[in-house]
Amino acid sequence: MGLYFFAIFLGLGLGIGFAIVRQYGGSLTSRIATGYIEVFRGTPLLAQIFVVTLFPPALNAWLVASGMAPIDILWRIFLPDPFGNPSIVLNTRILLCAITLGLNSAAYQAEFFRGSMGSISTGQSLAATSIGMTRRQLIRFVILPQSLRRAIPAWSNEAVYLPKYTTVAYLVGVEELFAWAKLAAGRTFLTIEVYVLIAIVFLVLISIISWILEYTYNRVKIPGI
Amino acid sequence: MTKVIEVRDVYQAYGDLEVLKGISFDVHEKEVKVVFGPSGSGKSTLLRVINMLTPPYKGEVLLRGESLMAPNANLSKLRSRIGFVFQHFNLFAHLKAIDNVSIGPRQVLGMTKEEAHDVAHDMLCKVKMEDWGHHYPAELSGGQQQRIGIARSLAMSPDVILFDEPTSALDPELIGEVLQVMLDIAKEGTTMIVVTHEMGFARAVSSEMIFMDEGVIVEKGTPQHFFQNPETERAQRFLLRLEVLYGQAEDEKNSE
Repeated sequence: MGLYFFAIFLGLGLGIGFAIVRQYGGSLTSRIATGYIEVFRGTPLLAQIFVVTLFPPALNAWLVASGMAPIDILWRIFLPDPFGNPSIVLNTRILLCAITLGLNSAAYQAEFFRGSMGSISTGQSLAATSIGMTRRQLIRFVILPQSLRRAIPAWSNEAVYLPKYTTVAYLVGVEELFAWAKLAAGRTFLTIEVYVLIAIVFLVLISIISWILEYTYNRVKIPGI
Repeated sequence: MTKVIEVRDVYQAYGDLEVLKGISFDVHEKEVKVVFGPSGSGKSTLLRVINMLTPPYKGEVLLRGESLMAPNANLSKLRSRIGFVFQHFNLFAHLKAIDNVSIGPRQVLGMTKEEAHDVAHDMLCKVKMEDWGHHYPAELSGGQQQRIGIARSLAMSPDVILFDEPTSALDPELIGEVLQVMLDIAKEGTTMIVVTHEMGFARAVSSEMIFMDEGVIVEKGTPQHFFQNPETERAQRFLLRLEVLYGQAEDEKNSE
């Protein structure tokens, strides 16, 4: 869950940024944004997670080999547990996984936002320019308020995909819901029941997310449109 | 009288297509210039050139003696002094009517929220829309939207307002209310350049009419000049066509 919320909001912030730069940036900066978006959308998420999570050990191996001190990658934060069974809430690997998910999501989200920015009539941009708004003001006061509203239905796709993507983190040893399920299934032999339970958990979670977004969309909708 | 706008020999092209081929004219304080001519003659492009929405590739435009094409020109600032009213209104869809009007004074002129609101309210009164301030553009008729568009321009207290066929996208019964507002502000001494085929409006307030065809100014003159004896054959033909069009409409109305 933490993984999901971190990734979706990191992706949201970066996604809006990349969308603006791609749509309204200079020729060089918009190309950089396009490159970023295409690389992250064009390569498998699993590969990205592998590359990023394997980077610190690889870096340390190189540092040691060159005779330098390795950096500490084993730091972790424990959640104190009254039953004396502390669980890890954050370590390097979880953090890197979350960041990668966020960076990946940012690329997809950027395209949703760019699409909705493109759908704002050019007439409104001309009107804003003609009353003397700068480009920055145009984006801030005319483009963003409208395109963010319009992006909600498309964006909800990403919001409901991402919880399922987080299960990929399991493959690099981050303990999320899926890892817990495997453990539980192994212990109890109730394999089908456990996985059905997991499916239900996802279904409920995603229904709640959908409902919140639907509610928000209707709440901020521009009257008359 | 001081010159508000000077257009000096401007050329504009879209790709290989030359749209403006050396246009020059001056607009003086409190003058209402009406620009007319067949579709594709470059009228709308001319207006967009004047406030640099599409800068010309040759020539110069000056606002009270200041060039809009100077490399160090603060274009946003200069544009805020040139109003623009669009054929398709182009209101900001997410803002209420009053906020459409106040956003310019607030964000561009740097007024406080209260000052901008007061200005917007005054402008809404001017276009007789004070009771509609809390409606969104999509909830308004075309004529009402266009009046908000005019109020949005007026709120910047511009040196000149450019009108790009402000009534062409309107249903016939809504044209009158927009023209009335335009007549009112013209009579108050607003400097205006109006692209329109509303000859009644031209006759009432225009100080000079400019007939354009194929990217050049074919003929200039007072409304009296154009309605009594236009010199060039092209202007004669065009005015006759307009007359036939409106005459037919008139006949159909009478036969009903």
